[in-house]
Amino acid sequence: MLLHGRLSELCIFLQAMFVFACCFSDIESGPIATSGSVQPNGDRFKLEGRAIVPGVKTQDWISSARVTVEGEEYIGFMRTDGSFVVNDVPSGSYVVEVISPGYKFEAVRVDITSKGKMRARLVNFIKTSEVIRQPYPLQLRSSGPHTYFMKRETWGWTDFLMNPMVLMMVLPLLIIVLLPKVVNTNDPEMRKEMEQSMNMLNPNPELPDVSEFMTKLFSGSKSSSNKAVGGSKASGRPAVKRR
Amino acid sequence: MYRPSLVVTFTKKSSVKMAKLTSLFVILLSFFCISEAVFEDQVGKFDWRQQYVGKTLFAHFESNTQSSKKMFVATDKNIFASFNSRTGDLLWRHVDKTGPEGSIDILLLHGQDALMVVGDGRLLRSWDTNIGGLNWEAVLDTGSFQAACFVAIQDTVKLVAVLKKAAISLHYLSNGHQKWVENLPDSDAVQYQAVYSGGEEEVYVLGVVPNSHLTIIAYSLEDGEIIKQRSVEASWLSSIESSCVVVGQGVLMCVDPATLALYTLPIQAEETPEFSQILLQSLDLEVFPGFQPVLVSSQPHPARSPLSEFFLQLGPDHHVLLQLNADGYTIAPLRDFQPAFLVSFATTGKKTVAAVMTPKNETACAINLFSVDSGRRLLDTTVLFPLEPNGGKPHTLYVHAFLKKDDSVGYRVLVQTQDHALTFIQQPGRVVWTREEALADVVTMEMVDLPLTGTQAELEGEFGKKAAIQDGLFPMVLKRLSSQVTLLQAWLAHLWKLFYEARKPRSQVKNEVTIETLSRDEFNLQKMMVMVTASGKLFGIDSKSGSILWKHYLENVQPNAAFKLIVQRTTAHFPHPPQCTLLIKDKDTGLATLHVFNPIFGRKSHIALPALPRPILQSLLLPVIDQDYAKVLLLVDDQYKVTAFPSTKNVLQQLQEMASSIFFYLIRSDQGNLSGFRLRKDLSTERIWEVVLPTEVQKIVAVKGKRPNEHVHSQGRVMGDRSVLYKYLNPNLLAVVTESTDTHPERAFVGVFLVDGVTGRIIHEAVQRKARGPVHFVHSENWVVYEYWNTKSRRNEFSVLELFEGTELYNSTVFSSLDRPHLPQVLQQTYIFPSPITTMEATLTEKGITSRHLLVGLPSGAILSLPKMFLDPRRPEVVTEHSREENLIPYAPEMPIRTEWFINYNQTVARVKGIYTAPSGLESTCLVVAYGLDIYQTRVYPSKQFDVLKDDYDYVLISSVLFALFFATMISKRLAQVKLLNRAWR
Repeated sequence: MLLHGRLSELCIFLQAMFVFACCFSDIESGPIATSGSVQPNGDRFKLEGRAIVPGVKTQDWISSARVTVEGEEYIGFMRTDGSFVVNDVPSGSYVVEVISPGYKFEAVRVDITSKGKMRARLVNFIKTSEVIRQPYPLQLRSSGPHTYFMKRETWGWTDFLMNPMVLMMVLPLLIIVLLPKVVNTNDPEMRKEMEQSMNMLNPNPELPDVSEFMTKLFSGSKSSSNKAVGGSKASGRPAVKRR
Repeated sequence: MYRPSLVVTFTKKSSVKMAKLTSLFVILLSFFCISEAVFEDQVGKFDWRQQYVGKTLFAHFESNTQSSKKMFVATDKNIFASFNSRTGDLLWRHVDKTGPEGSIDILLLHGQDALMVVGDGRLLRSWDTNIGGLNWEAVLDTGSFQAACFVAIQDTVKLVAVLKKAAISLHYLSNGHQKWVENLPDSDAVQYQAVYSGGEEEVYVLGVVPNSHLTIIAYSLEDGEIIKQRSVEASWLSSIESSCVVVGQGVLMCVDPATLALYTLPIQAEETPEFSQILLQSLDLEVFPGFQPVLVSSQPHPARSPLSEFFLQLGPDHHVLLQLNADGYTIAPLRDFQPAFLVSFATTGKKTVAAVMTPKNETACAINLFSVDSGRRLLDTTVLFPLEPNGGKPHTLYVHAFLKKDDSVGYRVLVQTQDHALTFIQQPGRVVWTREEALADVVTMEMVDLPLTGTQAELEGEFGKKAAIQDGLFPMVLKRLSSQVTLLQAWLAHLWKLFYEARKPRSQVKNEVTIETLSRDEFNLQKMMVMVTASGKLFGIDSKSGSILWKHYLENVQPNAAFKLIVQRTTAHFPHPPQCTLLIKDKDTGLATLHVFNPIFGRKSHIALPALPRPILQSLLLPVIDQDYAKVLLLVDDQYKVTAFPSTKNVLQQLQEMASSIFFYLIRSDQGNLSGFRLRKDLSTERIWEVVLPTEVQKIVAVKGKRPNEHVHSQGRVMGDRSVLYKYLNPNLLAVVTESTDTHPERAFVGVFLVDGVTGRIIHEAVQRKARGPVHFVHSENWVVYEYWNTKSRRNEFSVLELFEGTELYNSTVFSSLDRPHLPQVLQQTYIFPSPITTMEATLTEKGITSRHLLVGLPSGAILSLPKMFLDPRRPEVVTEHSREENLIPYAPEMPIRTEWFINYNQTVARVKGIYTAPSGLESTCLVVAYGLDIYQTRVYPSKQFDVLKDDYDYVLISSVLFALFFATMISKRLAQVKLLNRAWR
């Protein structure tokens, strides 16, 4: 969760950098005029574009798709070739989206000036005035089908075997069962070697064993054990009001 | 204008459930799953969707062959859709803008193309009906739409003519380009209402100056030049649309109810300067008193002239088939149909027939075909249309005629009834499908628990108080035993049924739900959905399968009525039947009526209803119950008098005792006035507070209290340092949302006021500057989440307000609005939401232990399940150890929308209007119904299914491991024994 938050922050930062870089290259090109966008009825304009789903025939998806401008304020429908026109849109700035239950499309922001000049740019809700130009008339390419479903966790033998708990149990078992068979313990040389290696593991033979220490601790005087408990209490977090 | 709204406010009664603060369990629980998603194999398992289109305005069948399957409808919901006529399923559907801008003026069908004029003559669209895509869309000149027709050149249809108030234009069918447009002469005085083309080189426009004369203009198809223009004296004519049709070889036929005469005029011929009159009396016809006669004609092919036969409707159930003779001004009656509700023409090939619907008996109507030329009845064409006892009357008839192999005429018929239902009937009288299109406009709904089965109910009855007192010890033991035996019997029967059905192939097992077999399931997951539609038709739908179990059409409901559905008695009080009350209020007069019914069977209850002579302002449901366990409904009229329903002695006595603790509020949004009232002992009221929000600055758009059936499990939140932040849980809190009257983007604002409904104290006010509506908000527990449009940044934003008492609770046992000296601490945070929304609701569970999710309806039709965790004003900007301990997500300005969170995956719900949430018997599960144009029902698990085994639980694995272990122990035991034995022998 935390990681996710961090990542999104990082993404925003990177995006901001990108936007900044783009701004430099896009400094003087204002909105471009598109011919024929002015319509007979006053200051209403038409928005044009084309949507493509790679690898899918248009007739398979257009009947369930539509184009929404700023929510459902203006609606356009897909033509049989995948192009679309939204008529009767007044000047302003709009988020244009192709909505299809099957395929996902990126939303695009389209600005229309009062003279009917249009430009398209990437949607950025955080830095709303940043401009990353997109082609106009819009060219929207689907990035594939929506992922609606989570994958079920399936159970397999490999998952079970590679489980760390299982590994921890199985490997020592193997060692216990197999090692005596592989290594001939009756061989005196080998026994000597093993003893040596055991000594290596236990570098200080004078040091008391852990189990020994524990038995001493509990069978020892009560005062010492009490002390130990008290100490641990004091070292814990400062007392908190509990309700 | 008063807005109907409700709050029941109690000072003493509504004590907040004081559950001791439990461990971190609840909070931990909510962190296990941020993401809630559907698995692919769950598709359609717990959810269903029904798609609707609305009331049909135009309907066409594809082609006139027997095998054609498609039909097309255009509806009042601005929808153009295609059905499969064999099943009634939608093939495709195009949902346009709501309101007049998307309304469909006319639908014309020609071959593969469907022509449509949209938005009062704003756009002309052509659809490819085969694949459901747009061919072209053309913008028309301004002016309101009057009429449109196809125009043929040399027997092929190439053009479409659109007549507007002041202009006529011709468009090519192939690409929508305009051939020509001409202004109509003298359009201020003349009302142009009809356009006619009979396959010649001209197109005729007919206009009328009411009660003066008729104007006929002929335009040349080639260049739009006026070829001829003439006016004919017609002082009796007021509207061409309502009283004239074109029949035969271009003869205008009009009917005049005043003189009781038919008038004919050849449109093309110049030599006849006036109408010729035919008195109805001369044809032996009589008009039903006070009835406006209606003419019905048919033009089977746009390239040819209309039929010379036509219907004349003389009364509500009286039609006459007439024929215009070849001379052009004499009329011969062919057949008299009385009684006959509906008539319709249908053409196939060269044959045209007339379908006539006549009443047969109480429960059915008969439809017959008649030959148009002679008026003879065609044999073996009778089809029966079943009339439902609580349904609407037939309204329109759409006939699909086709030629059978033996060259006789066969037909199918689509009947539309007044309650917007469509019924498709095939010969010989089989109902193929029915679509309840009233469900496209659900206004309000409730979910009611299903009743227990008979045996279950008997068991419940055994523990009733009365039974225990009456009987002694011994009879009770006997009763106990007998009921155990019946239970055993029922269980054995169930087992037998399971066994019996398991032997049958799966397809044969019918799981048909009927009212008789309905009973509550183990976890109360199956409920009855009671839906109220704008047309006044009520439905009872099984929430598991979506099948309609009962329907009841309320006639005489005004089209602009407001509805409020109240569950007065649930199914929990056996043997008393459950009871729902529907309050129907006429918005203009404010007068209200009550409809009381049983929500399980849909039957109207015969209970004495209170007289409601005065407009009703407010209704409130009290938790007070009468001796029959029905909750008391209070209705406040415009003189602030209160009527109780039911109003038995018992109830009135209880009300008198409790009067001092019953408060209610009223809102007058036109005056910006919010006022609180208290009930007096004599059922009059007194005003105790008033809040005025000046209407010059802002207007009240919505007020919401909390849901009465909501439970809050934990009283506070455990912080990172182990202290507790107590929630401010005021059950009487109202969230009032206002919008500024100034809509300028710089000065517009949205205001949120939190007002105590008992004292009128403003607990908090938040103002969002540079913001405008529509505001969607949810008010629950100790938080309010609202969504608005930020006019400066042009984006949608979510804001959350959370109220806390602080680290000390003032009075932990009882909440009283009158005794809360400290104002709560208010925390607020705002986030960007990357999409507009259409509606919002919060999930609801039985005990409120499960974490909450917000269900957000998006314009795309998706329903997003957004964890409330993301809308937490305590999300830190800088992560600290404490915040990590509390599992708070670090603040991020943009809210994510992930398609995995869509609870309805690709089953989009068009135009979501409301989301209804109801708790189930399982704490983890919340039932959700989204309604709008479509209805979608599903279950959500905001904290995953922690109280039942998941449906993907691996029984095979668990049992195989158990068996393996069992056998391993057996074998190892045996081996050990053998070893021991061997050792003993050694």
